[in-house]
Amino acid sequence: MTTVKPILLAEDNPRDAELALAAMEEHHIADKVVVCHDGAEVLDYLYCRGAFASREPGNPVVVFLDLKMPKVDGLEVLRTIKSDVNLKPIPVVMLTSSREECDLAQSYALGANAYVVKPVEFHQFITAVKELSVFWGIINEPPPDSSASTN
Amino acid sequence: MASVAPQHPVMPITPEPAPGTSPAPTPKNGRLMEWLTHWSIERRVLAGFGLVFAGIVVISAISYRNTSVLIENSRLDSKSHELVQLLESVSEALDATERGHRRYLVTGEESYLKFYRSTVEQMPEYLRYLRGLTNEWPEQQSRVVTLEALIDRQLDAEARAITRREKDGYEAVRHLALSGAAKNELERIHTVMTELDGAEQRALQSRVRQSAGSTKNTIALLGLGALLQLVLLASVYFLIHHDVTERRRVAAELENRGELLQAANKELEAFSYSVSHDLRAPLRHIDGYAALLSKAAGEALNDKARRYLQTISDSAKQMGQLIDDLLVFSRMGRQDMLRTTVNLDQLVKTVLHDLHLDLQGRTISWTMSPLPLVLGDPAMLRQVFVNLITNALKFTATRPEAKIEIGATKRNPSEVEIFVRDNGVGFDMQYVNKLFGVFQRLHRSDEFEGTGIGLANVRRIIHRHGGRTWAEGALDQGATFYFSLPVARSLK
Repeated sequence: MTTVKPILLAEDNPRDAELALAAMEEHHIADKVVVCHDGAEVLDYLYCRGAFASREPGNPVVVFLDLKMPKVDGLEVLRTIKSDVNLKPIPVVMLTSSREECDLAQSYALGANAYVVKPVEFHQFITAVKELSVFWGIINEPPPDSSASTN
Repeated sequence: MASVAPQHPVMPITPEPAPGTSPAPTPKNGRLMEWLTHWSIERRVLAGFGLVFAGIVVISAISYRNTSVLIENSRLDSKSHELVQLLESVSEALDATERGHRRYLVTGEESYLKFYRSTVEQMPEYLRYLRGLTNEWPEQQSRVVTLEALIDRQLDAEARAITRREKDGYEAVRHLALSGAAKNELERIHTVMTELDGAEQRALQSRVRQSAGSTKNTIALLGLGALLQLVLLASVYFLIHHDVTERRRVAAELENRGELLQAANKELEAFSYSVSHDLRAPLRHIDGYAALLSKAAGEALNDKARRYLQTISDSAKQMGQLIDDLLVFSRMGRQDMLRTTVNLDQLVKTVLHDLHLDLQGRTISWTMSPLPLVLGDPAMLRQVFVNLITNALKFTATRPEAKIEIGATKRNPSEVEIFVRDNGVGFDMQYVNKLFGVFQRLHRSDEFEGTGIGLANVRRIIHRHGGRTWAEGALDQGATFYFSLPVARSLK
């Protein structure tokens, strides 16, 4: 482990992204966060292509995935991750405004590791993001990187 | 003599027109059809079949009568034939007797009296038979009586002539032997017999004509009946066909509308989905940035500015709550429903247990009567009790001692009524219709908090279970909320 593995945050709304980063700042994990603004960018990052062609190889420690995103939506990204042998071990946490049953069911069916509804209340939101980041970024032991993406 | 017409009983064979129920189309056909189309399909079919049935009954009755006439006529015919034959035998016997007795008178030979003796012996039997064959026709009967008298006289005269021959010899009866002892009587006997025979032949012929007519009549009638039934069946078919076509059209239209409704519903669902998703984000931002602001500039702000920030934050939260409630309400309407046996006693216990933390510091007297088992969705029914009990708790908050009663009544075997009663602030009965509406509130939000969705949810859930909701109350006198649930057959 030469470098600290990053957290990948897929969030199309810059305000939500800023609020999430603000929440993570308190635990000093914000600097390890890579923010993607749509599903295509997430896939680019994971497959080291496009704007991320020259990034250091390796999977993120966790992906926080919004459901509604431009270009490629969250479920599509989730499906791609979970059907790729190299990406499959990455924990994926759905972080969304939707409480709809069909979204929940579909996400879990596709192999999501967790599903979190963004609370409207800021304090709850901050608590949720903090706890998620701490658990997945620090407490949880990520899968070994032996099968890192070589594209 | 031939002027005497035979008066045999003749069965009427012309079919009487069916009384009243003449199925023939009336001249008011158009109006009849119009009147018929106002009937329901069942009545029309019933009327059609009734008419067919009546037609069959009338035709059967007439055919039966005609057939009876045929049978009766054939019985009378065989009687007539017998009569004609009998008359011939009697006539021959009398002729033979007459010839025999004359020969005896001439020759005095005993053997010539053989016919005479057997005729005398047999005649009463013949006559009795004759009476029997004519007993149904007085006209012929009276002829038979005349005939009997004449035969008696003839045989008598012959007997007397035979006696004289025996006593006084041939000379005494010489002229009798030439002309016969009862020549006149014999002639008259033959005349009466001819009359009898003629009358019988005429009756026979008339009956043959009658039978032929009757047969023709029956055949025509049966044909007419078949035609009539065909016409009626065809019209019944037409009516049914007309109705069925109409029903098919209505069903197709209903299906079409159902599809439209389903499409509209889907659209509404998509709408509420994006409401839930897209409206929440800006609210989250309002609250989030207000919090960030108060954190970043907290020290520099005065109390007033801090209160403004708090209000912004509170409003955002309230709107978030409203959206959440609305989504729950909409989900209650479309969610799939379970149908299992629910122990309401147990359900209420767990609800109270979950609420007990909120109840600390309050004095509440609970009155619980046993609740029945019902068939329904446990999560939804739990929501009903949560809403009703939290309502009761909320509106009794101003009371020093809250009294809350939960119970059930069973007025009829098909449903149970469950109620939650409190001694809270109550409501004015004139607003009772607004109670269960979406976002309808009877109190200002600074008096009692809430979004006004709870009772709307209760009503929606109970309606989906096939029950009803209603309430009773008075201002400051408490309120009682009722709901009914149908009792499943297996749970009765």
